[in-house]
Amino acid sequence: MKIGLFIPCYVNAVYPQVGVASYKLLRHFGLDVEYPLNQTCCGQPMANAGFESSARSLADEMDEKFAGFDYVVGPSASCAVFIKDHYPTLLKDKPHRCLNEDKVYDICGFIHDIVKPESLNASFPHKVSIHNSCHGVRLLGLSSPSERNVPYYSKLRDLLSLVMDIEIVEPERPDECCGFGGMFSIEEDAVSVAMGRSKVMRHIATGAEYITGADSSCLMHQDGIIRREHLPIKTIHIVEILAQGL
Amino acid sequence: MGSREEIFEKLRRNTREVHEYPDLSPLEREALVHEDKIAAFAESLRAAGGKAVSAPEGEEDVRAFIARTIHEEYPEAHTVVSATGELPGVPAAAPETFASPSDLDGTDVAVVRGRLGVAENGAVWIDECGRHRALLFIAEALVIVLDRNAVVDNMHQAYAALEEAEAPSFGTFISGPSKTADIEQALVFGAHGARSIVVVLV
Amino acid sequence: MSNRHSIAAAEFLKDGAHAQWHDETLWMVRQKRDRMSRSLPEWESLRDAACALKMYSNSHLAELLEEFESKATANGAVVHWAKDAREYREIVLSILESHGVKLLVKSKSMLAEECGLNPFLEQNGIETVESDLGERIVQLMHVKPSHIVLPAVHIRREEIGRLFEKEMGTEPGNCDPTYLTHAARKNLRQIFKRAGAAMTGANFAVASTGEIVVCTNEGNADICTSLHKLQIAGFGLEKLVPDRRSLGVFTRLLARSGTGQPVTTYTTHYARPQEGGEFHIIIVDNGRSDILAQKGHEKTLNCLRCGACMNTCPVYRRSGGYSYTYFIPGPIGINLSMLRDPLKYYDNVAACSLCMSCSNVCPAKVDLGEQIYLWRQTLDSIGKADRTKKFVSDALKDVMERPALFNGALKLAPALNVAPRPLVYARVNPWGRGREMPRFASESFNSMWKKGKIK
Repeated sequence: MKIGLFIPCYVNAVYPQVGVASYKLLRHFGLDVEYPLNQTCCGQPMANAGFESSARSLADEMDEKFAGFDYVVGPSASCAVFIKDHYPTLLKDKPHRCLNEDKVYDICGFIHDIVKPESLNASFPHKVSIHNSCHGVRLLGLSSPSERNVPYYSKLRDLLSLVMDIEIVEPERPDECCGFGGMFSIEEDAVSVAMGRSKVMRHIATGAEYITGADSSCLMHQDGIIRREHLPIKTIHIVEILAQGL
Repeated sequence: MGSREEIFEKLRRNTREVHEYPDLSPLEREALVHEDKIAAFAESLRAAGGKAVSAPEGEEDVRAFIARTIHEEYPEAHTVVSATGELPGVPAAAPETFASPSDLDGTDVAVVRGRLGVAENGAVWIDECGRHRALLFIAEALVIVLDRNAVVDNMHQAYAALEEAEAPSFGTFISGPSKTADIEQALVFGAHGARSIVVVLV
Repeated sequence: MSNRHSIAAAEFLKDGAHAQWHDETLWMVRQKRDRMSRSLPEWESLRDAACALKMYSNSHLAELLEEFESKATANGAVVHWAKDAREYREIVLSILESHGVKLLVKSKSMLAEECGLNPFLEQNGIETVESDLGERIVQLMHVKPSHIVLPAVHIRREEIGRLFEKEMGTEPGNCDPTYLTHAARKNLRQIFKRAGAAMTGANFAVASTGEIVVCTNEGNADICTSLHKLQIAGFGLEKLVPDRRSLGVFTRLLARSGTGQPVTTYTTHYARPQEGGEFHIIIVDNGRSDILAQKGHEKTLNCLRCGACMNTCPVYRRSGGYSYTYFIPGPIGINLSMLRDPLKYYDNVAACSLCMSCSNVCPAKVDLGEQIYLWRQTLDSIGKADRTKKFVSDALKDVMERPALFNGALKLAPALNVAPRPLVYARVNPWGRGREMPRFASESFNSMWKKGKIK
């Protein structure tokens, strides 16, 4: 099984260690992982801001880059689902598509649903609070949306449960938006920061040392607030925990 | 072209995809039912701020029981008015006694017959309101007399029962006393209608 | 980078304590809704059914309206048709004038708000009194509702106490909700009795029976319409439902979604005029028939006006109803405002983080978040895209399309980590107003990979 590793732009620039952990983790499962060179951006920031046309050429580029892989896997639920949900429309006029959206996964969903590991060698002796990101929950189905009357499930919790010595909690209002939302965070900065503050406070109220989740973007936004206000909690991407010791 | 025709013309022109009436029967079959409908009804009514009182099994003089219940629940009530005047000594809300529905203002207790109770929400369907339906809403308290065999599980069953009803006129589901939370979401009973409700199950 | 919503929202958030209270109050309603939805195992099937019923009725409006009209007429009601707000207002006025009505009591109607009914009637010498407590509070304060179901949800009890002291002579300083509610009951009842006619909206209009259904908790619509021989009901034509059977679905969802109750206290069906009275029904289009032809937006006609999308919206809760430029705020308001007039209301589409909670909470499955995304895509073509956002987006595109440029930028970016604070956190950097900037990595993933550092 050939995996194309997808590294979103901001992970590339700000959180390369998340990319490294993703690679190591996938390799650890014995998978054939390749990184198509010179990746940039999937186009989500422009499209969510209302400029889908600016995302089209990037979508086209991604489509070409990831030709021939059995799966495309990246450490960002939001970017993965943007490709899944929007590339078919963005590239509807492209005669020959290379990438099959059904094969695009966020790394947590991929490990949970496809790799299905029964154990991990990782140990993380800390209390972590799960950040259920909006697109991970409501668009990708990484956990049960709080609005819906469906049985509780959380793929993130399932994966974290394989880590030794870890304590896993979830905040009150477990899937309320943290207020990042791409350019929303700068256009509506007052509301965005207010949302982020209350999200961070609810994570802190659990007594956790770390906020962890499948989207570095949400974590980046919350981390900006944590550092500005010197709040007693840290952020860490879930793959960094799962890849401990690798 | 009048507005009516203009509206219809636009509706016909603009309707794109046509969708069919969905099959509701699977939902209606799987909808919540209760092992003890009467108990569930009483509990729902309590949650809505009302109270259910059951006549003892085999109670023969139903009217006397209703009168007793009114007296026990509302010992201070001076003016008791019924919708249709079937209780002895209780006037009906009719134009002969009350020229205008406004004259019913000041009624302490209104007595009315309900046709159907709904276990899932404590609502009672009332469609026999006499000549002044205002009685239902203007009285300080409302006593609804309901046949205990007329309690259904949920609104699907309720409307199924009502679908068979004859030509519609006026009817209302009432679930508990009038209420509001318009001031800081604090629940207050007696916004405009009855401040309290007792359903007498007979 | 700002818009009328973000500016108003920032203003709203300045009173931190009030903003927090507003958020928590509405979240409490969302939680009540959650408890109700979880009490029904068939909840998701109910939502599916409501959506399917609305898709059916909204794609059969012409025939259902004809059926409704004929049944309602047979019931003895008079049916009027208004293609727009002006016709609606004038029909109401002419009915009232022909009966010499000087005082109208009204129950809450978003349509009346949409069409500016109250100011129009007042200008024409007809006193119009709102009977719903929340609506009455905002009417007496001369402000607009800030929420479609909880019109006065943004107002503190102390303010209402002072208002009632002035308007109804309540005890100075007494702001107990029970006391104030009962004072309003007493005050309004005298007005109800004096009025010459009563008017309501409608939650549902049943085609097979010609009835209209009005749902309230207070009983205000019921008491007003029962005290008067002249009754008027005006509603938007998307309120049509096929039959009573469909009400089984809608009545189970409406209050559970809106306020977290199993059903509203009163669910009242009106079919005929009162003895010796008149019952006028006004069916209003005012742009609704155009929505049918708006690809991707038809489902807004499914809306039951329950307000659940507002209660769940993290942006609405933290910015308040008045931060939006349309009279209906929140997710459904953003969409309805764009359907009404994009050139006037385009600011509202920014008020969304695309969290999609609204789409999941909606009892009739209106795809609210998805539609906001679609609206955003149209702003540039109507010349209303935010210029800074467009600039940022274009710049991003230019960089991202050129991997070499992107890689170059990645190399330079860490310099920002150590750049002088006043430069990085200048006023023009909205990210930096409440947050520290992300720290760029000393080496990007691309570069590490190329150098073979990742094994």
